[in-house]
Amino acid sequence: MNTAAYPILELVGLRKHYGDQEVLKGIDLRVRPGELVCVIGPSGSGKSSMLRCCNRLEECSGGQIVVDGTDLAAPGVNLNQVRQKIGMVFQQFNLYPHLNVLGNVTLALRKVQGYSRAKAQEKALAALARVGLADKADAWPAALSGGQQQRVGIARAIALEPRIVLFDEPTSALDPELVGSVLQVMQELRESGMTMLVVTHEMAFARAVADRVVFMDGGVIVEQGPPDAIFGAPRELRTQAFLQRVCS
Amino acid sequence: MDALLANFLNVAIYKEVAPYLLQGLWTTIWLSLLVIPLGAGLGLVLAILATKVNNRGIRWLVALYVDFFRAFPPLVLLIFIYFGAPFLGWELPKLGSIALGFMLNNSSYFAEVFRAGLGSVPRGQEEAARSTGLSAWKTLVYVTLPQATRNVLPDLLGNVIEVIKMTSLASVVALPELLKAARDAQSMFYNPSPVILAALLYLALLWPLVRLLSHLENRRFSNR
Repeated sequence: MNTAAYPILELVGLRKHYGDQEVLKGIDLRVRPGELVCVIGPSGSGKSSMLRCCNRLEECSGGQIVVDGTDLAAPGVNLNQVRQKIGMVFQQFNLYPHLNVLGNVTLALRKVQGYSRAKAQEKALAALARVGLADKADAWPAALSGGQQQRVGIARAIALEPRIVLFDEPTSALDPELVGSVLQVMQELRESGMTMLVVTHEMAFARAVADRVVFMDGGVIVEQGPPDAIFGAPRELRTQAFLQRVCS
Repeated sequence: MDALLANFLNVAIYKEVAPYLLQGLWTTIWLSLLVIPLGAGLGLVLAILATKVNNRGIRWLVALYVDFFRAFPPLVLLIFIYFGAPFLGWELPKLGSIALGFMLNNSSYFAEVFRAGLGSVPRGQEEAARSTGLSAWKTLVYVTLPQATRNVLPDLLGNVIEVIKMTSLASVVALPELLKAARDAQSMFYNPSPVILAALLYLALLWPLVRLLSHLENRRFSNR
């Protein structure tokens, strides 16, 4: 099997509706190993819904979600097993406030993957070192800045050694001066070979770091391509209009 | 004034009935230690059923249970179970019927407190936990429930205090807890001093808990 061409995440005809309203109208997307794909688009375009369908935090109404060869939408799939391969980073961080930083990162290592306390702590500290927060292992989430909390969120996701990490607007809840530290960690993660699917409003980040940019609007992928092509010479009118709005 | 002292603060009588009342206090304590975990445990199960199980019928049944036992007077419930059970052919031991009555009553209150607690934990907590592969059950045990419990700790302790005071109702079914002991002593001496002594013992038992409750409430207030 040629692993380089084998997508880690593949969405085929993904559909979702809330009642009568269709928010995803057949999404086809492939993310290859080591690729960083940024998803941009106006709010309400369905990009967060799409991302949240990728680990079935939201149920889709139709289509396939294939992660590392497993179709998540198939009946009888062991969701808890597949989710270990799919890290997720949230807009609001969602750190566990009753656990310290180390407890946040070790919880799934111990209770899902079954590592001993010592081994889980070792792996957690390695993950925290990758986000530059090894010295905050004993701190409580509430004592950290937003940027630090989000980096702990990233450490919690990567500590499980996922095949792909989903980012749901990871910097949207941050003060402007804290955004840079999180984006830098994400860039380093990308350079270490992590596969990432990032829903973001950070156009400069998408342009500089992404391998591919996907523009969504109205529940469909309107256009996708290398960042220079999307930002430099968008083909579709909707893409042009959106970029004009956000980049002016 | 002397009459008042002789009738309510009669130290000679205090000394004489103290061992008997202390035994009653002990019964109150272990009765509380029995019925509080039973009620809190059942209440927690009901709250989980009402909030985490996606089944309308179950939610409706839990709501009905909670409404009914919060509205039904606990004293009547206790008498009903204690004196009524034998007619229904149930051979409940005395302690069993008392424990059942208290459990039915206070579990409905505990269920409401736990339900509020579970509702206070943001949805993102569950999503974060599930995204790491934790099962629904482990998410509840390690993520949701610890936060829920912490958020309603003052309300839980308030319930505990209420239940301890409510155990005095067991006196009507002849369990020699603190109030029953005091009432027996009162009729033995034709003097209400033992009841005053019982009140002092209740205070000694509950005062630290009430202090702790105030402390927790102040902390909760200052955290928001």
